[in-house]
Amino acid sequence: MNEYIARVLERLERLYPNEPEYLQCVRAWLDMIAPAVDRPEYERLDVLSRMVEPERMFSFLVPWQDDQGATHTNHGYRVQFSSAIGPYKGGLRFHPSVTASVVKFLGFEQTYKNALTGLPIGGAAGGADFDPRGRSNREIMRFCQSFMFNLYRYIGSDTDVPAGDIGVGVREIGYLYGAYKRVTGRAESSALTGKGLTYGGSKIRQAAAGFGTVYFLARMLEHQGEELAGKRIAISGFGNMSWGVCRKAAELGGRVVTLSGPDGYVYDPDGVVTQEKFDFVRDLRSSGLDRVEPYAEKFGVTFYPGKKPWEAPVDIVIPCAAENEITVDDAVLILANGVRYYVEAANMPASADALKLLRLSPKILTAGAKAAGSGGVAVSALEMVQNSLRYSWSRREVDEKLRGIMSSIYDASAAAAEEYGLGYDLIAGNDIAAFKKISEAMIAQGL
Amino acid sequence: MSISNEYLRQLMERVVKRNPAEPEFHQAVSEVLASLSPVVDAHPAYIREGVMDCLVEPERIIKFRVPWEDDQGNVHVNRGFRVQFSSAIGPYKGGLRFHPSVYEGIIKFLGFEQIFKNSLTGLPIGGGKGGSDFDPKGKSENEVMRFCQSFMTELFKYIGPDTDVPAGDIGVGGREIGYLFGQYKRLANEFTGVLTGKGLTYGGSLARTEATGYGLCYFTDNMLRDNGRSFDGATVAVSGSGNVAIYACEKAAAFGAKVVAMSDSGGYVYDKNGIDLPLIKQLKEVERRRISAYVETHPEAEYHTGCAGIWTIPCGIALPCATQNELDGQAAKTLIANGCFAVAEGANMPCTPEAVDALQAAGVLFAPAKAANAGGVATSALEMSQNSMRFYWSFEEVDDHLKRIMTDLYRNASDAAARFGMPGNLAAGANIAGFLKVADSMLAYGVV
Repeated sequence: MNEYIARVLERLERLYPNEPEYLQCVRAWLDMIAPAVDRPEYERLDVLSRMVEPERMFSFLVPWQDDQGATHTNHGYRVQFSSAIGPYKGGLRFHPSVTASVVKFLGFEQTYKNALTGLPIGGAAGGADFDPRGRSNREIMRFCQSFMFNLYRYIGSDTDVPAGDIGVGVREIGYLYGAYKRVTGRAESSALTGKGLTYGGSKIRQAAAGFGTVYFLARMLEHQGEELAGKRIAISGFGNMSWGVCRKAAELGGRVVTLSGPDGYVYDPDGVVTQEKFDFVRDLRSSGLDRVEPYAEKFGVTFYPGKKPWEAPVDIVIPCAAENEITVDDAVLILANGVRYYVEAANMPASADALKLLRLSPKILTAGAKAAGSGGVAVSALEMVQNSLRYSWSRREVDEKLRGIMSSIYDASAAAAEEYGLGYDLIAGNDIAAFKKISEAMIAQGL
Repeated sequence: MSISNEYLRQLMERVVKRNPAEPEFHQAVSEVLASLSPVVDAHPAYIREGVMDCLVEPERIIKFRVPWEDDQGNVHVNRGFRVQFSSAIGPYKGGLRFHPSVYEGIIKFLGFEQIFKNSLTGLPIGGGKGGSDFDPKGKSENEVMRFCQSFMTELFKYIGPDTDVPAGDIGVGGREIGYLFGQYKRLANEFTGVLTGKGLTYGGSLARTEATGYGLCYFTDNMLRDNGRSFDGATVAVSGSGNVAIYACEKAAAFGAKVVAMSDSGGYVYDKNGIDLPLIKQLKEVERRRISAYVETHPEAEYHTGCAGIWTIPCGIALPCATQNELDGQAAKTLIANGCFAVAEGANMPCTPEAVDALQAAGVLFAPAKAANAGGVATSALEMSQNSMRFYWSFEEVDDHLKRIMTDLYRNASDAAARFGMPGNLAAGANIAGFLKVADSMLAYGVV
């Protein structure tokens, strides 16, 4: 690592000692792009320092009333990380684990994920330490309204366009958009994405993240002269992302054999490949139960309580749940099982050491979330495009465009890796390509 | 009083046609146009330049849906209104009324009246009014809060310290203003004087509670002295025992008068030694009891059930401060027979038209509500002044301003009445004086 990069990192570590998630992802990123920090103007213009810190951050109180009339107070955040190539864009997460550090980490990742979609979207993230579990519809509605009464003044279709994330699905987006529309008096549909189909949402949006990951995987397989047909896939989670992976993988002949929840994982040797199973998974998620065991009961397969799905014998692993769910032990297990492809759908699912182990192993090909997981945001951006057009595309048109976007992300990542002599390192290639694009835009726009 | 000017009579017909089924608004416009007839006869420019036509049409009316949740989670939908009637001499200013009887006609009527009342204070405030058909009665604190928040979520787009400054009215007191201000501040991200009637901890003015009652006495004092009379040594009857009555009583006593009677909705007390005001305050402001309890500690005083009888008590000055139409033709005749020489309205419209006619015919000095009780709105404007300068006056400073405002106000109404051939008719004088300031500003702006 060159001296300039070390200085940037040291400064950050000094400034934010209590923000581990944020420091972790910046450290990993600096490590990846180091070979590309090869021009003196990066240091002269201090481009890196300006890239690793958000342009702006908001935190605000969100008071709300539960159904009994008791008052609760949560903390809301919005990090506007980078507007170098378009309006800030990134999800809102409602989860008790949300802190300023988590939101900064998400906003940072989002910036470099968005860059390679080829669409004009900057990077952002937001959310609240609100726990939607066990809350009634009305409580969710009141929380969303109170949240938006603060957030609305910072967002807008040319400024900052939030979307969903964990805990923020189409229901929450509906309440948030309703409050935004009322308080601004504008039916400005492209101020939020992930909307319902009746009021400006895009087709495929729900499944987009999972579809995108499978499209990316398909390009990797193609590069190796293989195809998805007949391949077994282990995934974690059972939400939208998992659901999308199951469907698109099945469509291309592969089969997802695991699903997981906080209670453990299920192993379905026949694969989650039928419409009945797709529908069951979607209903299970929206039931709010947050357990995956009912799938095993329903389809007569084995449930492994308290275990992670990485012990299953498969060809491909696609983590679809939360950050840091794959430890070094899990990575060792994955390698020992002879898994050949590791493709991230969720954000930063592996710890730094686990990812290093996987990435540097010659036995397995790896793709990072910033590339393979960007289908969701790509369709978010396509939703913005449709809103701006005042026109909606068909399912087929959106799916086609998504496939094209994922393919171009793959090409850009592979080309950058090649250019900097990193072989087939798609993770480094992706980070470098995004770094090049954003830094060029920043330099062009001056200080 | 009928509209003597032909153009104004035709204008009135157009108003009725354009605003069907709004009798309150018709009545208010008709009364004002009647008292302005001599003014436009003398100054036809007001007609020629379109001032009269503009004046009877609100600059803007905003109507909106107000959905809210009750404590059981049921959804209710009310209607919200804001009529921005005239910004000729300052930002729109006027109260918000939450009452089931509210509809567009009521709000237009109130907004129209507010133009002249506000103008008369001499302060830079235009005319507006708003509200909702929401009934706060029987609603929980949380329900009232949620309603206020939903109402403000829409209203905040249209108001602001330089645009429109609402205040309270029926159904909108300190609690509601608090909730409304909280939501405004949250949405607009501005701590400004966007509402008046605020609590003292967040931008309210001292002397706001006392303002209407004190102002009534300042106005009356000017009227009395102008006619060679005085509060000093006079016997006074004050109906009511709310803020207006209590502080009118306090100020009248300070001017040397002896207040011998006060009332509530159950009856009245007559204490010929002079009302023990600290006791009234204790009963009404602290213990929230009926006024009949007064005689428990003052056996020499009399308590009578029924409120109307208060006007049978011999007094020189009557200050009706309870409610509308509480003083009728019969009561007026009794007052006159008992030697009453002045009646000043602290409540809104407490004297019936018959009572006013009888009093004026008998030469009793009469101070109409629109002028005499303007101390409340004047202090609202002083609250805006203090918010604007980010500094607060002491009680005495606000009181001094109020005294000066009420004196000027009396002088303006009295002069206008004399100038247009109706000396002593302060009701007509108030309309005319209020009108002239607004109308001359409108002339200056041209056709906008």
